[in-house]
Amino acid sequence: MSVASRVRAETGAGWRSFIRRRTAVFFTFFFPVILIVIFGALVRTDPAGGGLFAEPPVYYVPGYLAVVVLFTPLSRMGSEVARHREGNRFEKLATTPLTRAEWLLAQTVVNAVIIGLASLLILGLVIVLTGAEIAFSPLLVPYILVGVVCFCGVGAILGSYTDSQDGAVAASNGIGLPLLFLSETFITLEQLPDWFEPLVNLSPLTYFTRGVRAVTDPGANPATIAGVDPALANLAILAVLAGIVFALGARSIPQTD
Amino acid sequence: MSAVVAATELAKTYGETVALDSASLTVDRGEVFALIGPNGAGKTTLVRALTGTTDPDSGSARVLDEPPAAVDRDRLGVLPQAFSPPDRLTVRELLTYYAGLYEETRDPDDVLADVGLVDAADTWYEDLSGGQQRRVCVGATLVNDPDVLFLDEPTTGIDPAGRRTVWRLIEALADAGTTVVLTTHDMAEAERLADRVGLLSNGELVARGTPAELIDEHGGTSRLEIETDAPADAFADLPFAVEQPARGRQRDHQGIVVRDISPAEIGTVVDALETDGIEYSGLAWAEPDLEDVYLTLADSAERARTGRGGGLDADEPTDDELGDAPRAGETA
Repeated sequence: MSVASRVRAETGAGWRSFIRRRTAVFFTFFFPVILIVIFGALVRTDPAGGGLFAEPPVYYVPGYLAVVVLFTPLSRMGSEVARHREGNRFEKLATTPLTRAEWLLAQTVVNAVIIGLASLLILGLVIVLTGAEIAFSPLLVPYILVGVVCFCGVGAILGSYTDSQDGAVAASNGIGLPLLFLSETFITLEQLPDWFEPLVNLSPLTYFTRGVRAVTDPGANPATIAGVDPALANLAILAVLAGIVFALGARSIPQTD
Repeated sequence: MSAVVAATELAKTYGETVALDSASLTVDRGEVFALIGPNGAGKTTLVRALTGTTDPDSGSARVLDEPPAAVDRDRLGVLPQAFSPPDRLTVRELLTYYAGLYEETRDPDDVLADVGLVDAADTWYEDLSGGQQRRVCVGATLVNDPDVLFLDEPTTGIDPAGRRTVWRLIEALADAGTTVVLTTHDMAEAERLADRVGLLSNGELVARGTPAELIDEHGGTSRLEIETDAPADAFADLPFAVEQPARGRQRDHQGIVVRDISPAEIGTVVDALETDGIEYSGLAWAEPDLEDVYLTLADSAERARTGRGGGLDADEPTDDELGDAPRAGETA
């Protein structure tokens, strides 16, 4: 049985398990929707008036996408790993040919499908509710996929080092919220103190945000990185980070007690 | 022929707790080896050390001539003790899922039939009874038709009929050459299935052998229980060892146990009872079994651990308290 067959079997089981948890399905899609409704339609952006939402609506598209690209893998993977630990499923899987990396890859595929669907919903709602003028680029797809890989790795690490599902969800919220708001998603770098910039650069989500903004915001004028087109350079940086975090996440999954 | 499973002086501690202490065993091809012992004796740790899911502090293990972590996973079937698979998959989906992880597998529907769950094939795992869930877990362990099976308490929670289904399955697998290591608290299960039994106590394999060998060595003698209110002294003329056990759920009931008596000799006892005019309401003869072995070897550890006379017999003196003094009512 090939790697592809094992990953397919694990992906199928993971997908069925997800879609049969109706509450989880509902809130996975409801969370970004309610965020767009609150931020985009109720608070509204005000390009002329300053304040928190002073940029044009399209500026916040990476932020809305980041909500699902960041939070869904963090909370789902964290709780999934914790659930597997509680049910001794990793002990069982450790005695099958499925490797830890294959398991994480399968879960990442499940997350990628969920987040892909949620992203389509978000883009549609942003256009309808905020009137954002989005430039669609094929690069948006790899950004979302690589972002999912990266944060599935982080989620796996959280789930491996927390002692329960509750702990994993709490940890994912504790890490996800600061990352969400301090990665140039909803708050520009100019609104933060100068000394904070190096910390922003440490966040993988920052490269997702900058890159997605470079490919979706026609008005954005991002600086090149070492002479490379920012749309590609940020993707490359994000891909390297994703590779490292994915490897760490796979390695962190418990194989023994 | 080298052993399919071999452990040599395996040791493992968790903090101050000794889980395994120089545990050694070998299991040959097609053999069923049952590990018995009290809770916390080290059975699960030993299974984990043999399956590569825990690293022993010292000692070595080999399965199919390889260190456990290097064994071809397609040849291994492992049922962890407290295993709970994804709960919103149907039984058939679960077996298909686990089958999908292996190179060559059995038809999941055949496995469904083997574990007696054809009627529940389309039921979500979470909607099954505890015993049915355990049968699914057993089935998930068999989908790859393994050469070596490790079953950690495979029949826990399964009803008597279902337990026999699993027993027949294990027997058929062993007959076909599958090597089986199982842990159990069910002495009838160990006695029926095992070619050899190892008794673990405080991480040590304190006894091992065929069930018959262990019973001969540690099981004591056959016994005839007489339901009677007569005191043990009334049986002084019998040519058998007689004792009046202090334990029993009905403490007001005065039972007598005649030791080391064959079925052919029961008539002698009946004649003596009638000659002496001793009233009795029932007779029950029993050979020693694996439970007697277990109680002989493991009960003292249990008493030492609890600091009392073991379980519900709270006012029963411990072996240490009794020392070499004769037991109450013991006449032989």
